[in-house]
Amino acid sequence: MADDDDKGYRWETEYEKTWEELQEDESGSLQASVNDILHRAKRRQLLEKVTNVRLGMMRHLFVVIDFSLAMADQDLKPTRHLATLKLLEYFVEEYFDQNPISQLGIIISLNKRAEKITELGGNPRRHIKALQDLTSRACQGEISLQNSLELALSTLRHMPSHASREVLFLMGSLTTCDPGDVRETVKSMVEANVRCSVIGLSAEVRLCKTLAQHTGGSYGVIIDESHFKDLLGQQVTPPPASSQTESSLIKMGFPHHALVGDKDKEEKPSMCMCHLDSGTAQGFSTSGYFCPQCKSKYCELPIECRACGLTLVSAPHLARSYHHLFPPDSFRELLTSDIIADGPVCCYACQVEILDPHVYTCDKCERHFCLDCDLFTHEVLHSCPGCASSRSLQTVQAGL
Amino acid sequence: MDGIKTDKLESSLLIVILDTNPVWWGKKKIAQDPMTLSHCVDCLTVLANSHLMVSHNNKLAVIAAHTDISTFLYPSSQPARPDIFKLPDDGQYEVFNSVESQLRTQLKTLIEADKAQVDYMEEQSSDSLLAGAMCMALCYIHRLEKECPIGESLTARILILKGSDDCPSQYMNFMNAVFTAQKQNVVIDACILDSESGLLQQACDITGGTYLNIPQAQGLLQYLLWVFLPDPSSRSKMALPPRAQVDYRAACFCHRNLIEIGYVCSVCLSIYCSFSPICSTCQTTFKIIGPQKLVKKKIKKP
Ligand SMILES: [Zn+2]
Ligand SMILES: [Zn+2]
Ligand SMILES: [Zn+2]
Ligand SMILES: [Zn+2]
Repeated sequence: MADDDDKGYRWETEYEKTWEELQEDESGSLQASVNDILHRAKRRQLLEKVTNVRLGMMRHLFVVIDFSLAMADQDLKPTRHLATLKLLEYFVEEYFDQNPISQLGIIISLNKRAEKITELGGNPRRHIKALQDLTSRACQGEISLQNSLELALSTLRHMPSHASREVLFLMGSLTTCDPGDVRETVKSMVEANVRCSVIGLSAEVRLCKTLAQHTGGSYGVIIDESHFKDLLGQQVTPPPASSQTESSLIKMGFPHHALVGDKDKEEKPSMCMCHLDSGTAQGFSTSGYFCPQCKSKYCELPIECRACGLTLVSAPHLARSYHHLFPPDSFRELLTSDIIADGPVCCYACQVEILDPHVYTCDKCERHFCLDCDLFTHEVLHSCPGCASSRSLQTVQAGL
Repeated sequence: MDGIKTDKLESSLLIVILDTNPVWWGKKKIAQDPMTLSHCVDCLTVLANSHLMVSHNNKLAVIAAHTDISTFLYPSSQPARPDIFKLPDDGQYEVFNSVESQLRTQLKTLIEADKAQVDYMEEQSSDSLLAGAMCMALCYIHRLEKECPIGESLTARILILKGSDDCPSQYMNFMNAVFTAQKQNVVIDACILDSESGLLQQACDITGGTYLNIPQAQGLLQYLLWVFLPDPSSRSKMALPPRAQVDYRAACFCHRNLIEIGYVCSVCLSIYCSFSPICSTCQTTFKIIGPQKLVKKKIKKP
């Protein structure tokens, strides 16, 4: 992250001559060549990804969305406003996929004020619903960076110290209208150990750069929609735990799910704690998850018990994150012509005959894979199909 | 079959993972159980052919989960060996013929390789490496989805036929595969031939599949055709066995006890049944003041 400072502004860096790599295929089409470049770029990204960082995986993140007039701009299709909300839906899904026991909240900023749309919570569906509702909301006035940060901080400062506290600002405006000195707010963010990252939609703003630098966050300005998606994607991966983040053992409950019509005793229907304030009959039933400590009932996991404060999760919730601990080693690139085989070289996982000049090999199980499976294995699956099929390699990961 | 035309070309890919664990099947044979590997493969062939018959576009793959390897039985890169299997050419649909002959040829190769190993081998394990086969199935689905022409849609599901025990050391690979399936909208069904599988119960529950421990071995074919042949989308209209209650309690890493309340490392999420000052997975040391702080907080609140 420190390298970011020396890079300077984007327009000062050397122009990438991407067209020099392009080659037409027999039919005169560039598409194959373009795909190839994209693929290889992805592979490079995966290799560069820092492995085995210490993951402060209990994340508390507020996403602040610019709702000022600047978001009505049409440089993203159909508008910045709608494009941002659409990409955020994808972001929320990915975020909970990779940070299953983390929480997220949404704040919007318009008319010099900040407004909390969703409280911090662990239910992706609730946030996605809120994002969809926001599409009909009009963009107005100016943003206030200070008010947004203060609002986020007012909640984040109560989060436990072992958890990470983060703010992600999606900013289309180049200006902010603040009631006081923003620098004071930046200082208090640093003191409270809140990591602030900014994704700019138009051009670099000095204030945002300073904010990100001082709080250990990242700052990027988008080039186009796909770059926007990439920058958001980088925020999905948990940040390295900062030194002040205490590591600790957290007490957690693993409630069992009681079904309707359990045989033991005639269960009385009861109200769940999550819908208690809603005033509707939703959540009134015999089924649900019961806190093992105080027997409060909830419809969904993960959640922090409102009565006794115990974090309630299910075992698979945790298992969803284990791939961060033991990511599969990256595969080695070999020349297909160097492989000694009787018959064509086939991918071990998907059986495809490898016609590409390159083949990818896992050093542990020594199986060969095609480029597609290499990417799929490392980006989505997080397990090597060859290693998972070999008895002798089981003990390596049997730490669990 | 071609008479039925929908406006959008839909194809359904069925991947069957067959547990070929030699120890488990060997035991069955010694006990003279009616459930033999050959009977199971017969039923599987009928299911496979029925699936291919439902629509001309349907696709099939069969993967064997063995003790020390996972391998594709169908489609396979090696040609069927005529010395092992020969069907009279009675006008049978040629795809059916090739499914049956390839399944048998590949199984034969797998078992012969086993026999060759037995002479200088340590004991075979009584569990199969399901996770490996599931990873291969997901890669194969990913490939077919990429190859799927525009305007055509492919839905894929995995059916696991399993007899041997759960393999606890595979937990992480297994869960990675399950969550990938969930992400890719791949349903995992399980047809259990022996003792209950906690892991597969979770897999089916997470992906929305059907978990069934068949009560009678003789009825295997009926269960396969009635429960597992229909697409998951049409199952809501059928009267299927009720959903099993799934145990979502966690097993602690230290003793593998099932626990309701435990301690989780904030760095790596390892689960322990009691407080320990150091995490054995990631070697993080915890501050002893941790639990005291909690006490303080509780006093402050009222
Ligand atoms: Zn409670
Ligand atoms: Zn492949
Ligand atoms: Zn491997
Ligand atoms: Zn740990």
